[in-house]
Amino acid sequence: MTAAARPAAPLGRLVRVELRVELRRPRTLIMLVVLALLPVVIGLGVTTRGPSGAMGGAATGLIAAVTQNGLMLPVAALGVALALLLPLGVSIAAADALAGEAAHGTLRGLLLAPVSRPRLVGIKAFGVLVVAVLEVSVVTVSGLLAGLVIVGGGGQLLTLSGSSVGLGEALTRVVMAACWAVPQVAAVGAVALAVSALTDHPLVVMATVLGGAIVFGVLHAIPSLEWLHPVLLTSGWTSLADVLRDPLPTDELTHSTLLAVCYLTVGLAVAVIGTLRREA
Amino acid sequence: MSRWNPAGGTLCTPRGPAPDQPGPTAGPRRPTPPAARVRGLRKAYRRNVALDAVDLDVPAGSVLGLLGPNGSGKTTMLRLLLGLSRPTSGTVELLGQPMPGGAGQALPHVGALVEGPGFVPFLSGRDNLARCAAAEPLLCAGTVPVAVHAALHRVGLDPAAADRLYRGYSLGMKQRLGLAAVLLAPRRLVVLDEPTNGLDPSGTRDVRRLIAELHAAGSTVLLSSHLLTEVEETCTHVAVLATGSLVTTGEMTELLEADGPALEIHTSAPHAALTALRAARIPGYAERGLVIADLNDTPPEVVLSALVHADVPVAEARRRRMGLEDLFVRLTEEGA
Repeated sequence: MTAAARPAAPLGRLVRVELRVELRRPRTLIMLVVLALLPVVIGLGVTTRGPSGAMGGAATGLIAAVTQNGLMLPVAALGVALALLLPLGVSIAAADALAGEAAHGTLRGLLLAPVSRPRLVGIKAFGVLVVAVLEVSVVTVSGLLAGLVIVGGGGQLLTLSGSSVGLGEALTRVVMAACWAVPQVAAVGAVALAVSALTDHPLVVMATVLGGAIVFGVLHAIPSLEWLHPVLLTSGWTSLADVLRDPLPTDELTHSTLLAVCYLTVGLAVAVIGTLRREA
Repeated sequence: MSRWNPAGGTLCTPRGPAPDQPGPTAGPRRPTPPAARVRGLRKAYRRNVALDAVDLDVPAGSVLGLLGPNGSGKTTMLRLLLGLSRPTSGTVELLGQPMPGGAGQALPHVGALVEGPGFVPFLSGRDNLARCAAAEPLLCAGTVPVAVHAALHRVGLDPAAADRLYRGYSLGMKQRLGLAAVLLAPRRLVVLDEPTNGLDPSGTRDVRRLIAELHAAGSTVLLSSHLLTEVEETCTHVAVLATGSLVTTGEMTELLEADGPALEIHTSAPHAALTALRAARIPGYAERGLVIADLNDTPPEVVLSALVHADVPVAEARRRRMGLEDLFVRLTEEGA
């Protein structure tokens, strides 16, 4: 006897509704606006104050290099955003995806409709991925516009290696930076989604992700723990500057991308298991 | 192909038979299986035992009131029935499907409002309902707006209220929206956890009407409540939980006449009444100024006729029923 076909709502309809809710959520929109303003602020800062302003993190060198070099702004902005805003934005989305739904009591409604639990995680993971892509795109596009309009630089990109490349090559490098950033942000999102599947409190998700980022930063700063650095997601983020070198070194970019894929896989696996075992 | 949906929208033709419904070629008619069946159910959260050794049948087509004091395990029971939570031991069947494994088969035919309404605060009531409808397997593409409109109308949320953000809803409006989500598709079983919570008297009356409509349409209704009058007026069956155990279950009328049927007679001449009853060989006794006639072997008409023929002035006579409240207090406070 074949298993009776189980009735289920069409997947396309569920995904469409999920994205509509995601993109109408006020905090998502505010986060996108903040991310769009970030490159503008950096551009204004660089042009009015010069490169001497102190900025923390790995992006300092990049920001200094932005002066008179507008096409570098999108990459520098990605570096700055990656330090806090992008992980924050994606973990807000992941926190709302499962823990937030549970806190509002809406997760129960979806499970009672019923939407099967593996399907639910799939839809939610897709929603978080869309947010990650949107956030990276907003920073990149806004960075590109701000770079060309505010900073200028005459359609040339002066690489960190000292050579200069044309507009076409420069745009390729910017797109490459964005494509590298998406899996990094998505990896943070997957870890956040895993925590989200294990708790009913969205704040726990935020605290875990931001706390985790801080702990990783501390571990990265301890020289005796150097053996640990290759498995720290955030340690790979310094490789973003590599897209601005000539010729392009690919070792670290590849390693950090593979690392992100590992975090992504583990995060999704935990999210699925957590949702299957969840008491809704 | 679609068939008319009393909730308003047209329905997808279900692929494959609905669970537990014999096809037209099925053999001799069997007694209808219960809408839900629970055996040896136990649920423990670490050391805290929420439910223990519960056996319960929810007869198909009944309106069963699940009663119990706060913390007696009513909501836990409903969550286990709906597959939201896994039993520690014991089995749960919903519309003939084992739960939680058979949730995909059973739940499309079940509407439930458990632990209060849950909606997204930054969407309007209508958009929230559309979101719920999008997840309903039985609603076809294109029929979602119709189903949403019909459900809103049925619970008395007018269009202006439906288009306001859920954030600004009063408790009663939230509850109505939760009920609307239950009514989006036709249901074989409706599970309502404290459905009149936060509703004003007219809302309470609406809920009672909705339950009556569902019952008349052949749906089974399972509702938990601590409002005894509510249950007494709407339910055909009762199950009473106390500290995680089922203390009684059965038909409402049987439970309320557990002491044996009797007729309460108000009369200004109790002695004459008792004499008349004795002459007619009807067992009876006086209690608190009333005369009580036992109806175990005698229909009430015979009792009244005997009294009237003996010229006993009968001011009022009515069947004695224990109030549900008396029953509830006796069951839940016994030995406590």
